[in-house]
Amino acid sequence: MAEPFEIRDPIHGFIELDEWERDIVNHPVFQRLRRIRQLGLTDMVYPGATHSRFEHSLGVMHVATKMFDAIVGRRRGFLVDTYNYDEEGAGLAKDRRIVRLAALLHDVGHAPFSHSGEDLMPEVGKGRRYKHENYSAKLVADLMTDVIEKHPLNQNYDITAQDVADFIEGKPADSLEGKSSAGRRLFWRNLVSGQLDADRADYLLRDSHHIGVAYGHYDLERLLTTLTAVEDPETGSPTLAIEEGGLHAAEGLIIARYMMFTQVYFHHTRRIYDHHLVEAMRSLLAQSKGMFPSPIDKEGLEEYLKWDDWRVVGRLAAGNGGTHGEIILNRRHDRRVYETPEFPGRDDLQRLEAARKALGERVIFEDRAQNSWYTIDSTDIPIVRKAKLDQEVVARLSERSTVVSGLRAVNRRRIYVPIGQSEECRRIVAQMLSSQESDG
Amino acid sequence: MTKDMHFPWHQYALIVKLAECLNHRPRLRAGSNSSYPQFGKTALQKLVYLLQAVYDVECDYDFSLYTYGPFTSELLQDLDLVESIGAVQVLPVRKGMDGYAIKPYENAAWVTTQAKEFLEAHKCALGKLIEEYGHYSAKELEIRATMIYVEREMKGDGKPVSLDGLVRVVHDIKPYFPRDEIKSVAEELQAKEHVKVAADG
Repeated sequence: MAEPFEIRDPIHGFIELDEWERDIVNHPVFQRLRRIRQLGLTDMVYPGATHSRFEHSLGVMHVATKMFDAIVGRRRGFLVDTYNYDEEGAGLAKDRRIVRLAALLHDVGHAPFSHSGEDLMPEVGKGRRYKHENYSAKLVADLMTDVIEKHPLNQNYDITAQDVADFIEGKPADSLEGKSSAGRRLFWRNLVSGQLDADRADYLLRDSHHIGVAYGHYDLERLLTTLTAVEDPETGSPTLAIEEGGLHAAEGLIIARYMMFTQVYFHHTRRIYDHHLVEAMRSLLAQSKGMFPSPIDKEGLEEYLKWDDWRVVGRLAAGNGGTHGEIILNRRHDRRVYETPEFPGRDDLQRLEAARKALGERVIFEDRAQNSWYTIDSTDIPIVRKAKLDQEVVARLSERSTVVSGLRAVNRRRIYVPIGQSEECRRIVAQMLSSQESDG
Repeated sequence: MTKDMHFPWHQYALIVKLAECLNHRPRLRAGSNSSYPQFGKTALQKLVYLLQAVYDVECDYDFSLYTYGPFTSELLQDLDLVESIGAVQVLPVRKGMDGYAIKPYENAAWVTTQAKEFLEAHKCALGKLIEEYGHYSAKELEIRATMIYVEREMKGDGKPVSLDGLVRVVHDIKPYFPRDEIKSVAEELQAKEHVKVAADG
């Protein structure tokens, strides 16, 4: 077997690729990720935040593989029994390959500046928009068939581009055509998109590193040595879990998510730049009704691929981004004049409503944490403890950890107004609050 | 009917309404000694999915398929908000992973009032949902919601769906469910016309 290729990575050291994966990395669809920033315009707040989806995607492949190997190493028997893998492990080897490829390619569908552009994806029906995962899956299935299917290293696996696309989108349908393994891969999909996934595992560390904060640090190595799979006692479904020895590492992960969310991803200035960027790109896309091309066919996909950060920045610099483009160029963003606590109560929501009414037309943008791309929900992590006679007892992390049990989803809301009106608006809000206090 | 997407009260009110309906019923099932299952986080996910997919109530959630069936993290986040404003309580049931019980709380009426129009417009659909799915356990809901999700996905992709095919795909996702059980679920859903499959042949 040929020596692997190595790519130096600031988070994981060396990331290994074989010839097949190297060809995929060299494909124009993947190379475009060098020109898609991981965190949009977060550098307006944290100047170091200029890293790209390219390095993150390599990191996700690396971590997903380590997670896969850790689980198989620890729970091979459980997986063989549950999913009828053959004893020789051929099915597992194929699934490992698909996990690596899907992890590598899961973000190729991102719009310029990552999540910010998602608001400009066309509707898919019933008021729903395409998401970057849909673009990723279509790009893989329609434009990467040759590089995935025809490589000599694929002879042992017979993986199709559609297999990888279905994994990214979470589609089980192909098994109708006689392939009986697409469904079980939904379990492995948790490694790329789930509560304990390689995506978050990588971006928390990577974003912290580039930004220069410590909020996203947690003990990845300990998590990997305790990551396992168990049967969910409530529903019987196999689920990812952590052995008891990793309880504090799991706590660390949850706290890292919370800290990165509040300090970085949902930072009030970062969020308003997401808004300005969306509106500026909407202006740039005026000829296509303010929307990116649809992924429905190859022509649309090829047009979509032309959109990257370089193209957007060039056009903004040329003055084509309208008012919001000017705001970005001059860093004269709208200002937050009111916000609720992170966990608003009934009174807080009523005050917010009153502030919104008092400010009227001056309100340019109202943000809420639910609309943030980096969600922080209260999904619980199962913790497995060995009891007497090697019996496994599964409990929720929130039950075992008083730190985690106190954390809830952040549901803060904010109101923004134009910079020139911010002082006046703050006065209006202050008056409204003081009159409410005196009434109360 | 207008929906305020800054304050998606219809989503919050739906969580509260389901908590009310599923907690305010007799402890025991009619004509049986068995009690109704608890209304927890898994049941919430599956019931909201079914309300959207089967009864065409636009709840504005975007579900994705996992081994444990259709799921959206947005709903969990909304549940946390509804809890923090005191409209529901989310209580761990007992030690272990038996889940949570979601119960209406002191500000429940305040939240449902904010989306009175939405709840009124979909009263009938909600009633049907509770009647047809409210008595199932989390595990039973999970298999049904998964089957309906798969059927919709396959149809969306323009693929013909037969009963056997549907059973095969769901068994592929959930091989730990006996095939016979999956088949009887498929037949039940077909009889209710909640999945529409072509005759095998």
